[in-house]
Parts: sequence; structure tokens; C-alpha cells
Amino acid sequence: MEEELITNEELKPQDNTRKEGSGLLRKVLIGIAAVLSVIFLFIFFIYIIPALQTIPGKEKNLITNSPLLKKDPGYKKHIALLNRDIQRLSRKYSSYTSGQSYLVINTTDNLFYLYRNKKLIREGHCSTGSFKMLKTLEGRSWIFKTPKGKFTIQGKQTNPAWRRPDWAFVEEGLPIPARQDDPVRYEYGVLGDYALALGDGYLIHGTIYKRFLGMPVTHGCVRLNDDDLEAIFNSLSIGSKVYIF
Amino acid sequence: METNSVNRDKTGRNILIAVSVIITVVLLYYSVMAMMAPVRKINSLKEEYSFRQDPKNVVSDSIVYDSAYLSLYREKAYLTARTAMAATDSLYLSMNLADSNVTLEISGVTVATTKLTRISASKIFYDRDQYFISSMLSHPFTVERNIASIPKMPLMIKMAPKDTSEYQPDIIPDTADYEPVNFIMEMDNGTTFYVYQEEKLNKGDRMHLFLFDLRYRIDEAWISMKSIFSLKVPEYHPFIRVRLPRADAKIIYRALPEHGQIAVYR
Repeated sequence: MEEELITNEELKPQDNTRKEGSGLLRKVLIGIAAVLSVIFLFIFFIYIIPALQTIPGKEKNLITNSPLLKKDPGYKKHIALLNRDIQRLSRKYSSYTSGQSYLVINTTDNLFYLYRNKKLIREGHCSTGSFKMLKTLEGRSWIFKTPKGKFTIQGKQTNPAWRRPDWAFVEEGLPIPARQDDPVRYEYGVLGDYALALGDGYLIHGTIYKRFLGMPVTHGCVRLNDDDLEAIFNSLSIGSKVYIF
Repeated sequence: METNSVNRDKTGRNILIAVSVIITVVLLYYSVMAMMAPVRKINSLKEEYSFRQDPKNVVSDSIVYDSAYLSLYREKAYLTARTAMAATDSLYLSMNLADSNVTLEISGVTVATTKLTRISASKIFYDRDQYFISSMLSHPFTVERNIASIPKMPLMIKMAPKDTSEYQPDIIPDTADYEPVNFIMEMDNGTTFYVYQEEKLNKGDRMHLFLFDLRYRIDEAWISMKSIFSLKVPEYHPFIRVRLPRADAKIIYRALPEHGQIAVYR
């Protein structure tokens, strides 16, 4: 009995240590398992399920080329109808592209492309809207962006004068003239030799700030260098199309 | 003491088993519901766009599997969608998955074109019944929501000076400014277009794309979860995922109107 008691007492601390050790190990393992489960669930919902939805089924491709069907008069009629529709649609679609000269302007890269008879005849740099929003304390605001879409040349002018709009005064902290035809509003020689009107006050014109060509710096107009402007002025007539994107 | 410990172990094990069973059942239920979503979508599209006999010109139903007929029908569908968009006078996109190219057009005039470097799409687009896919593609898709890594309009606000003394000329814009271009377009018919830049120009591009994609996936998974746990089959969104050069991706995203249109040929 005495011997047994001594042995038990001697063993107890070791057992406890082992038990504590295995308890800690179990906790660690449970922790790792929990973390892995969470990661698995995340991947399951975010990646596995969408991937499973995308896996194509083992469906047999049914596309045929049956000679029997081709002899069917109904089939021939359907094919003829389709061919007719395609021709009609193709004609309609290509009729949209003008055979005359037209201008394409890329406002993201500030580039222009001049086409004649659907062929590119000139390309180069231009400057388009700066995407600045000018705000006054009184709550007035202007966004300086070049509009996108299809436009028509509405007017052509040589040696244009710039009639400065209100924002041109606001931007420089100058008082705005009350009258639209006030001589203070007129500035000469800043738009180059030519201007082509796109409507709503937007122009294609020259510039004295040639070092900014290729950059988005304008108040919405399209600026070009002198040679390009002259080529475009001579190529486009009133009614010509300008595509801005 | 020992009996208590054994009991605690048993209870713990039982709880673990119960939790595992519950999670497995939930995952199975979720998987089944999620897998039903594309099937349901295909069926609804087939119902809407399947072949209908013309009583004046009856033909064998197998015509919809004929390669010559399908090829012409596909071409007609693409032209129909593009012609409809050309009439709108605004910028639109024509995506030709067969030729791996995409063109930006206005009123039938191609203003920009680029090559698609990688394409992947939902299994719907590879269904054995190609007729209903082409019928569906004969209508242009309209963008309902844009999610992008760049702003549609990079607006900078400038306060007007009070007088000439406060006036400062504009600073030359920093054209070297770099931001990765990735965007997602959710369309009106439930299709989603993922447009990601092909190049990894900067160190952070890969991580940026991973996080951008992950954020969208989490949003989508959350919507599906809400639907599934309210015992409804979630809505499936067929997708077309493409990669293209960064510069072109930027042009396309900035040029397309907020609710722009897209025609697809495949």
C-alpha cells in the first residue's frame, strides 16, 4: 500500500503535464481546423460555386449538316430569306458611314483622325476638354469637357475672334461684363486662322498654346496645330460629320 | 474527475459532429440551389428565344441545328443588333468573340478597334442549342451598372478666384499618372461583362486586379446567399470575361455612355 501510494504520487505530476500537453495540442489542432474551415467556406462561396456553375455539361454538340434537310423546300426558303435579310442589313449598316470626309476625335488620348472616302488621310495630336469643374462661391459651375457622340459641322470661319463667355472671366477673377456684345469679351488671334463650329459653342480651332497639344487642357473645344487645322478646314464642309469619343 | 472529463470529451465530440453535419447539409443545399440557377436561366432564355415555326413557311425543327443556317442566323443577329445601336447616334461596342476583336462605333462608323487577348464565357454561350443564343444576341445589351477602377469622368474641382490677385494659371496635367484599368458592366438582361487590362505594367497590378475581382465576387456571393437562405434559387448572371490592352480598355470605358450598348457575335 505504502509502495503503491508513493508510486501514484510520483506519477501524478507527469500525468498532469502530459494531459496539459495533449489538451494544448488539441486546442491548437481545433484552432487550425477552425481557421482552415473558415478559409474553405470563403473559397467555397466565392470561387468554387461560381466555377461549378461555369463548367459546361457533357452535352453532345447537335450541329449537323444533313443533306436531307437541304432538299427540303422550306429550308431553301429560310436560307434565301436569311441571305436577303443579311444583305439588306449590311447595306443599311454601311450606308451610315459617310463616303465624304469626316473627322474622328479621341478625347482620352487627345488624337484626331481625318478620313476621306472611308480612308484615313491624316492623323495627329489635338487638345480636348480638361474635365475641370469651375465653381463659384455663389453656386455657379461649369464643367470643361468635350462632348462625345456624333456632331455636324454647323459653320466655318476664317480669322475667328473669340467672344469670351462668362466662365472665362470667372476663371481669372475678373468682373463679368453685363452685355454679351461688350467689346471686352472679344479677343483676336487666339483661335488660330480657322474655326469650325460644332454647335452649343463648341469649336474646332487653332491655338497659341501648341506645347499643350496632346493634353486635356481645353474648356471643351478641340484645339489643333496650324497645319492640321488648315487641312481639316479644307477637307470638311458644312454638314460634314465629326465623331468624338 | 475523470468521468467528468470523459463526459466533456464526449459532449465536445458530439457538438463537433453535429456542427460538421449541419455545415455539410448547408453546403450541399447551397450547392444544389446554386447549380439550379444556370439551368433555370437557360430554360427561361430558351422559352423566350427558341425557334418558332412560321405557319406560312413550315420547316423541319432540325433546321436550328444546321450549320449553314446557324452561321447565317448568327450573322443576321449581329447585324440586327448593330443596326439597332447605330440608329441611336451614341457610342456603342461591337464585340466579336469569334474573331477576338472589339470595335467602338458611332452611327455605323468604327472609331476605335482592338484585339481581345483572352476570352472566357459562361456555359450558356456554349449551349448545344445555338439558335436561342443567337436570337438573344440579336438584341443589344444595355449597361445598367458600371463598376470600375477608374472614374468615368475624371473630374477635378477648381474654385473660382475672388479677384485677379487670387488667380493662378492651370497646372499642366500629369499625363504620366498611372492607374490600372479594370471594369465590370452589368447589363439589362442579367449578363455581366468583365473587362480587365491585359498587361501587368506595375508591381501592384496583379494584386489590384485580384482585390477588384474579389470585391465583386463577395458582393455577388452575398446576393446569392441571401436568396438561397430565403429558399429561392438565386439569379444566375451569364458572363463574358475579356482581357485587352490597358490603353484600349481605358478608351472604351471612358467613351461608352453610362448606359451604353453592346452587341456580341459568337
